[in-house]
Amino acid sequence: MIQRISTYQRFKMMNPIIQFFRFIYLSLKVLTIVAGGHGGTRKVHQDSHK
Amino acid sequence: MSKIVVLGAGISGHVAASHLRRKLSKEHEVLVVSPNSNYQWIPSNIWVGVGRMPYKKILFPLEPLYIRKGIGFKQAMVKTFHPEGDEKEARPYVTIEYVDANKKGQQEKVTYNYLINATGPKLNFEATEGLVPGTNKTYSVCTYTHADHAWQALSALINDMKQGKKAKILIGTGHAKATCQGAAFEYILNVEHELRRNKVRDMADITWISNEFELGDFGMDGMLLSYGSLTMKSKEMVEMIFEDRDIKWILGAGVHKIEDGMAHYENLEGETKTVTYDFAMLIPSFSGHGFKAFNKHHEDITDKLFKGFMIVDANYTPKPYEEWSVQDWPETYQNPSYKNIFAPGIAFAPPHSISKPRKSKNGTEIFPSPPRTGMPSGITAKLVADNIIDSIKTGRESLAHKGSMGNMGAACIASAGFGLTQGSGISITTYPIVPDYNKYPKTQGRQLGKTFGEIGLAGHWLKLALHYAFIYKAKMNPFWWLIPE
Ligand SMILES: Cc1cc2nc3c(=O)[nH]c(=O)nc-3n(C[C@H](O)[C@H](O)[C@H](O)COP(=O)(O)OP(=O)(O)OC[C@H]3O[C@@H](n4cnc5c(N)ncnc54)[C@H](O)[C@@H]3O)c2cc1C
Repeated sequence: MIQRISTYQRFKMMNPIIQFFRFIYLSLKVLTIVAGGHGGTRKVHQDSHK
Repeated sequence: MSKIVVLGAGISGHVAASHLRRKLSKEHEVLVVSPNSNYQWIPSNIWVGVGRMPYKKILFPLEPLYIRKGIGFKQAMVKTFHPEGDEKEARPYVTIEYVDANKKGQQEKVTYNYLINATGPKLNFEATEGLVPGTNKTYSVCTYTHADHAWQALSALINDMKQGKKAKILIGTGHAKATCQGAAFEYILNVEHELRRNKVRDMADITWISNEFELGDFGMDGMLLSYGSLTMKSKEMVEMIFEDRDIKWILGAGVHKIEDGMAHYENLEGETKTVTYDFAMLIPSFSGHGFKAFNKHHEDITDKLFKGFMIVDANYTPKPYEEWSVQDWPETYQNPSYKNIFAPGIAFAPPHSISKPRKSKNGTEIFPSPPRTGMPSGITAKLVADNIIDSIKTGRESLAHKGSMGNMGAACIASAGFGLTQGSGISITTYPIVPDYNKYPKTQGRQLGKTFGEIGLAGHWLKLALHYAFIYKAKMNPFWWLIPE
């Protein structure tokens, strides 16, 4: 096992008060990305990638 | 009056049926045909599979809801498609076979004006020799019964570990072209979390096995994402998580045969190897259901409707990876030959994978098939419903609602352990789902910021909140439609 997540990082990840605010932030962020709309792609540009 | 028949009552079929019913007047008929009497919220199967949520909490019976809402329901499986009708029946129809106890085996023609094929995938366990959930110590979490069964086996193993038995646990993909790596990823982290909770973590060796070339590919060619103030590859994020939790990994593995406690696989080097285990959860390959279609003279026209999954407005011209384009992906999910047939969710045939195709030195294709998660399944179903509603209301074909996976975001809130104070989740969002290398050439086809990852307790709360919100929505409780797909 390699400790890749430091004790301080883990504290932040699991602290309920910090995480409560992260929860609000994440909910809004997810909502804006998902409810932020969707559409077609074909009229915008037609080139292939890479 | 129009009759819209929806095949399947999973995420996409149920979303389509509920929006159609809400927006169309009662003179129009909405009929759902599905073999399962229950609606199930599949993402929460992960918690059923670790014994943290009883399966009854993730499902509810469909028929009472549909009766209340004025949606017809037949507990049956579609068998054949007849988009031109036949000599006796001028209208297009599908044949169905009932599976409910009263009418089991009876067949019927169901006519339609519009058809939505939302039958999702066939869980193609047969494609991997010996991969049968509940045998050879392998399990699945793809349905609630599978997940419940997996938990029974896992809890017995945990008890053995408490008695001093050392155990090997193998979780990942059970076929060279399987998809749904995200579900397996959630499950491995939840299993690891439960072993720690049960104080037997040191008794277990946990291994991830996957057809991905790199960790964090998820069938999406990996992602470059914002992680706090950093920009990180999904590969690095998953590697960090696995190393931190002492999970080993085997990549580029095409599992082709399962025997009691043994998974045989070929890797990209062309080597055949075997890994042993005491408990495995392997995602099978997903395939089309093998439906047949006939024209009005009863000639086979399956090729016009199906290419494994259903053919829609995608560009299926075979071309090399370098020439793939985001424009290949469908926008309206309409079948090009029969314009009143649509296939949202997993039921549509993708133009190609999203991950780079790779072959082993023996020529075996080993790479993930493209995932279509719950969110795009719901979004595509809603836009199909909206186009049908507009077409009915205006009396002419309307395809104004479009939603390509190349212009749509998705959130994957992966549970990494259950528990109100000890749980964890890995929240990942991607925009767009299919990378657009023209629009975002420097960030691997996706928009940074909108493509981000975060680890923590909040992710668990969010996943739990989504569980309750989506079941509330699926039950069509007051103002359900305000909750986005
Ligand atoms: C374990 C697991 C965890 C997941 N977790 C997440 C997650 O956290 N987030 C996320 O976004 N996605 C997740 N997914 C993916 C998500 O569940 C799928 O994207 C979604 O279920 C696809 O919806 P669908 O309606 O297209 O197909 P399905 O949900 O599979 O529905 C298909 C429907 O068709 C019915 N059917 C089958 N055959 C027939 C037939 N012959 N005739 C009529 N009806 C038929 C089935 O009974 C079912 O009702 C997960 C998947 C799994 C397996």
